[in-house]
Amino acid sequence: MALLSIEEITKEYDGIIALNRLSLKVEQGSIKGLIGPNGAGKSTLFHLISGVEKPDSGKIYFKGREITSLESYERSALGIGRTFQTLQIWGNMTVVENIMAGMHRRLKGSLFSYGFWLPWIKRSEKEALKEAKEMLDSLGLLGKWESIASQLPYGKQKLLELGRALAMKPELLLLDEPASGLTLTEMHQLSERISQIRQKGVTVFIVEHHMGMMLEIADEIAVLHHGELIAEGTPESIKRNPEVIEAYLTRRRSD
Amino acid sequence: MSSQATKDSQREFRKRDIFYLVPLWLLSLIAPDPYLYHKKEFNKKDLYYLIAICLAPLIWSDTHFHHLMVLAGIYAILALGLSLFMGYAGQISLGHAAFFGIGAYTTAILTTRYHIPTFPAFWASAVSAAVIAYFIGRPILKLKGYFLALATLGFGEIFLVIIRESTDLTGGVIGIFNIPWFSVMSFSFDTYLKQYYLIWGVLVGLFVFSKNLVRSKMGRAFLAVAASEDAASSVGINVPRMKLEVFVLGAAFAGLAGSLFSCVMSTANPEAFSLGFTVLIVMMVILGGMGNLYGPIAGAILLTWLTDILSRYQEYSLPLFGVILILLLIFFPDGIGTRLNVRVIYLIGYWAKKKKRDEGKV
Repeated sequence: MALLSIEEITKEYDGIIALNRLSLKVEQGSIKGLIGPNGAGKSTLFHLISGVEKPDSGKIYFKGREITSLESYERSALGIGRTFQTLQIWGNMTVVENIMAGMHRRLKGSLFSYGFWLPWIKRSEKEALKEAKEMLDSLGLLGKWESIASQLPYGKQKLLELGRALAMKPELLLLDEPASGLTLTEMHQLSERISQIRQKGVTVFIVEHHMGMMLEIADEIAVLHHGELIAEGTPESIKRNPEVIEAYLTRRRSD
Repeated sequence: MSSQATKDSQREFRKRDIFYLVPLWLLSLIAPDPYLYHKKEFNKKDLYYLIAICLAPLIWSDTHFHHLMVLAGIYAILALGLSLFMGYAGQISLGHAAFFGIGAYTTAILTTRYHIPTFPAFWASAVSAAVIAYFIGRPILKLKGYFLALATLGFGEIFLVIIRESTDLTGGVIGIFNIPWFSVMSFSFDTYLKQYYLIWGVLVGLFVFSKNLVRSKMGRAFLAVAASEDAASSVGINVPRMKLEVFVLGAAFAGLAGSLFSCVMSTANPEAFSLGFTVLIVMMVILGGMGNLYGPIAGAILLTWLTDILSRYQEYSLPLFGVILILLLIFFPDGIGTRLNVRVIYLIGYWAKKKKRDEGKV
């Protein structure tokens, strides 16, 4: 059974149809890619899955449960983590705090138990700090753990955003253009990292413009064009699909 | 020739370095370290501050100073609550004085009309302010930025009108008099010195509470909401609820402050809770430093003291006040509590470089 399934979803912005009766499935434990020219509706689809926006019609199922009407924070509690196309780290916090804030859902306790600093709060905060540092170590950011997040270089900030999404221990990770603005080396590291994430049992759904990286890491690729799914399949078949070449690659040449 | 000159200037620079190090070291003892200000744990400095608070009224043992510090302490409690809402959660409230007023009137009505002791009335004030904040906050916290500012402003004005018009309950524009001194188990806080310890004790307690919030999951969630609501909800932070919680908490702080205020002044009248007062509290938070818990306390002390000094100059006091505020905002844009010594280091560096520049030109 598919981890995430989207059924007949439609989204309209002021008469412009961003997504038109789109159906899509993401299998458990796979890396699924989503490509398409600018304005194809990729980011809209991500916003609908993560709950930032609500669809006009259609249904979204996650782990067999309908989540169409759930709020964004409830969906992340179920295990949907995401990164953003425009970087959204919290520049007013330190690097380690960004990661620890990512664990928000896993740390229990009310406002008062934190205010009175009950003994078990102290323990859980300590554990969270330790875990966050381990996470930073695996991302290679441990040396900067105490600096303000907005002072990191762009590539590291992107990495931090990925780390924050991983800190909430998601089952499905939505990556919105993770490679944009990265250097070639950083991009290779990123593909390796994504493969490692999948090995830990996290399902990954990626929107990406960079075809080379997608063909390398994705198990399956879906192609969106004008809000409709025009092709879906293995990277090899997508590469040879005439419709995709028509919609995506020729458009790119004319740019 | 030229190498000799550079050597001289280098040697001179070293001498100057040592010369500047001494005052800088002294400053670093009293001012928070700029490179550590994001470290939110308690440290030794907090203990020094606590000792200073305990000793201050004994060293300056005149009643005027005690009274000023009592007022400053009350304003600091208010500013502390508002700083959680504004400085951490990044929202705007221009109706905070209303919750202060609700606290003051709750205590005033309970103690004078129903003869309830002040200690339970003190807690009832916090609860009533918090409950009202909950029902006000639920609808208006959906607003953002200027709209939230306007809505809270409107709430403050409506509160004033209600207080002025419901004469039977609140005494209208005249207010309520003869509120008893604050007392716990027949111990009455009837001198300024006792009130000083009462109010600063409450302030220290609330400060510790706030600091515990700020250094934990809650503080991170507040800051996350301030920086990016989309990202906050993407990691599972319930943004509307988080805003509501911090709004209610700020209101409860204001309720406590209002209760203490009415006991200290022994009156409650609507003039004390006007828009001007809200702006003064917001000013304390901004001048003290947003996103810093020491800031609102420093701001409250500074502004209370400043209004007192300037009141000697009669009609010139308000323009002078304005000019001083503008100057403070120019030279301490992050607030006096946040970056005092960054500014000082900057200024000293500026002088040192200026001399060097002048020499270079000649």
